[in-house]
Amino acid sequence: MTSSFSLYAPRASRYHDLHPLTKLAISAAIMIAGAGLGGVWPAFAVFFAVALPLAIWGKVAISLLRAVWPIALPFAISLFLIRGFIWPGGTIIATLGPISLKAEGLEFALAALGRIVAMVSAFLLLSLTTAPDALMLALTERGFPPMIAYIVLTTIQIVPRFQARAATILDAQRSRGLETEGWLPRRLRALLPLVTPLILSSLVDVEERAIALEARAFSRVGVKTSLLVLRDTPFQRTARWLIVVILAAVMGLRFVPGIAP
Amino acid sequence: MISVRHLTFAYPLTSTASLWDVSFDVPAGQFCAVVGPNRAGKSTLCYALSGFIPHFYRGEISGEVVVADMVVAATPLAALVGKVGLVFQNPFNQITGARMTVRGEVAFGMENLGVPREDMLIRVNEALEMVGLSGLADRSPAQLSGGQQQRLALASVLVLRPQVLILDEPTSQLDPLGTREVFTVLARLVEAGGTTVILVEHKLEWVGAFADRVIALAGGQIIADAPPRDVLNSPEAAAAGVGQTRYTQAARRARESALSTAAGALPVTLEQAVRFFSSRSVDEHIA
Repeated sequence: MTSSFSLYAPRASRYHDLHPLTKLAISAAIMIAGAGLGGVWPAFAVFFAVALPLAIWGKVAISLLRAVWPIALPFAISLFLIRGFIWPGGTIIATLGPISLKAEGLEFALAALGRIVAMVSAFLLLSLTTAPDALMLALTERGFPPMIAYIVLTTIQIVPRFQARAATILDAQRSRGLETEGWLPRRLRALLPLVTPLILSSLVDVEERAIALEARAFSRVGVKTSLLVLRDTPFQRTARWLIVVILAAVMGLRFVPGIAP
Repeated sequence: MISVRHLTFAYPLTSTASLWDVSFDVPAGQFCAVVGPNRAGKSTLCYALSGFIPHFYRGEISGEVVVADMVVAATPLAALVGKVGLVFQNPFNQITGARMTVRGEVAFGMENLGVPREDMLIRVNEALEMVGLSGLADRSPAQLSGGQQQRLALASVLVLRPQVLILDEPTSQLDPLGTREVFTVLARLVEAGGTTVILVEHKLEWVGAFADRVIALAGGQIIADAPPRDVLNSPEAAAAGVGQTRYTQAARRARESALSTAAGALPVTLEQAVRFFSSRSVDEHIA
């Protein structure tokens, strides 16, 4: 059982030291550019020229690649099979019995794969280099509701605990003779005695957690302070705006008819 | 420091009162234990003293509770928090999960109260040192053992420097080692002086060793209120389900079987038991 559901990988890197909002802006830019720019190559270019170098700078490239391929590979296989072979019309590259491989289908599959890789790597780049509490602090400092920030943070920490409890209940019910394996109806019947105690025990927890929160003055109205301090620089503030402006310009160009490449 | 007058409380949708005409005073700096069988009203009393009754659990309430010069019912919870600390049973549920590190968890209450950062850093370190978790400040709270989590919960409350500390069975889910860890912290706190402690605890050996005074509850009413040796010895309290320490039980058996003729009250602590069993009458009997 891991202690946290967060992907955050603490490293001593300059990229880690960036303000969470800067990293959020970069990842959002990678995601939007990767998904929004048309054609086959822009998404891959964004991945190889932006996401990967930043991951290397942040010393998380190996973790990033390790997490990207299990997500991208199944997509790649199914996309190539379905789009490559099942494509109305188009240029035939190779024929395999009754079906044939189409160039346009392959191109579409490649473009879709590029988008997935760019979006997943953007998400991972942010998650791997940004502590969740730092990100939430950066957001609440700018008016994000503290209650939602709390829900995000506590969920990250509770999920492993929840999984452990589910496993305990599963073992307990099995030891009383509950059959949890076999054909589907039997598995469905086993669901109720597993889910009910999980939900009931969690409801009891909620009450105690609410008391624990109130005992720390969580709902107090007034000025609050923070132990965690985020470092921001004028350069990063400018860079964030630049990212937004450039992104808007590029996307604008793409969607303005007649100018698009 | 604490003044309870004719407190009666019933939870919503219940026909019987959980507390019935309870009155007592606790002077500042006293270590007061509350004992009693299940459903005696011990947890309800803890909630009433810390303000969760009537601010969190609504119900039918009468009488008055004054803690640290504040009328609890008339004071908002947030104002009570800095003065009255509450630690309860389940170590895990007291970790708010609002922060990712032990240090952050301890500081969370102060953040909400708006304590300046410089003060927070000093107070967090003090609190962690007090409970012996200094080396784990940067860990995730979820990585700690049950005993460590309970000490973290204690640190998170102590860091707010409450005048009154209320503990509701803080060791019930801990193993003997975890129990010892928590009581070691309490002993240190009592030694430092100043804090008024209300401790609900089933482990009577610890109560006998630590408390200045024991209040026994049964059926929502106070049935005994005296020094530990008197309450833990009393047949009335035992009959009401309070129980007795192993020392008392052993000494009582010894006396019943005429193994010991030592006079006076039965022991409730190890030291008292040693004195009881090493008194001359036992030696003579064995000889």
